[in-house]
Amino acid sequence: MWRTVPVLAFALGAGVTIGAAASTAVSTSRIGASTIATPRCTSVGMPLVQNLPGTSVTSVTVSSIPSGCGGATLYATANNGATAASGTIAVPAGGGSATVTLSAGVPVSTAVQVDVVLTGP
Amino acid sequence: MTGRQRLLRMTALALGVALGAAVTVGSAASLTMTSQAITPLRTCVLTATPATTTAEVDATVAQGSPTTAMGTATSLTIQSATSTNDRIYLRFILTNCSPAIPASATIRLATLRLYVTARPAVCRTLDIFPATVSWVESSITWNSQPFGTTLNNPPTGSRTGTFNLGNAAGCQNTALGYTIGAGVTADVQSYVSGSSTNDGWMIRDDTEGSATTRTETFASKELGTLAEEPQLVISYVAVP
Repeated sequence: MWRTVPVLAFALGAGVTIGAAASTAVSTSRIGASTIATPRCTSVGMPLVQNLPGTSVTSVTVSSIPSGCGGATLYATANNGATAASGTIAVPAGGGSATVTLSAGVPVSTAVQVDVVLTGP
Repeated sequence: MTGRQRLLRMTALALGVALGAAVTVGSAASLTMTSQAITPLRTCVLTATPATTTAEVDATVAQGSPTTAMGTATSLTIQSATSTNDRIYLRFILTNCSPAIPASATIRLATLRLYVTARPAVCRTLDIFPATVSWVESSITWNSQPFGTTLNNPPTGSRTGTFNLGNAAGCQNTALGYTIGAGVTADVQSYVSGSSTNDGWMIRDDTEGSATTRTETFASKELGTLAEEPQLVISYVAVP
């Protein structure tokens, strides 16, 4: 019995090591690669306009969305460094233009950051 | 080795295989998750506000007033005429973007947006040239401008952006309001990467010296109307 304990420990260790090694190898190659190769519906820039009925951005319009992005979900977040607001909308089936209404107005400042993410289709 | 020892060893090996199998299943699940199409795009919108900001500078230079600095005027004018041609100079300070645009970023689209307050009856082509010499808003004049006083210089062929404007069918910009089509993507890419210095742009009529005076007027920073301020919209990705 005394001799079988280290054998079991080694075997368990080997098992974990194999598991960890497999996980690391797969994660490194797959996730690392997918960061670059994650499919995108477009790689071109799309004109973006802040809509401001007053002194705040209340919505964001993205135009010239390729048809390949039709049906995707468009998330937008506007941030002026002090206030941030976001919203979401479905892109029309044929692409084109989509306006995201923000959850709150973001006062216009010298620089406003707008992050747009299309997920899908 | 006793029979009991063989049994324990076989159990341990079996457990090791089982662990490996479990990890493999986990890896397969993560592969499924990464197949979702995700298209990220970050945009920095620079707006010439407030009217006193130095984050954007703009000025008209006028051939008809060759030594007059017009940087505090509330409008910007481009004009083609026999002897009273006007040009616009403007520059945005890109470091105002927060977070900062990384030098390694790929600029997908950069667009100048100017608010048109008056347009000609015919469609006029306007050319955008990157300035290669620094200039000062409060002192730039027709005579001191970086590109010199020769009409139609620099030549059209060296423009890096163009758009057209006029109250005529087929023109890109026929109405008053913000312009469309004034792309400056390549210039902004070089400014961000550091391959060239950001001295802003000069915009002039594609054909200066028109026998019939053609004038386009835009709101300047000093107008102070938020919804009409000059803008530079820069969309980029940090990882191409």
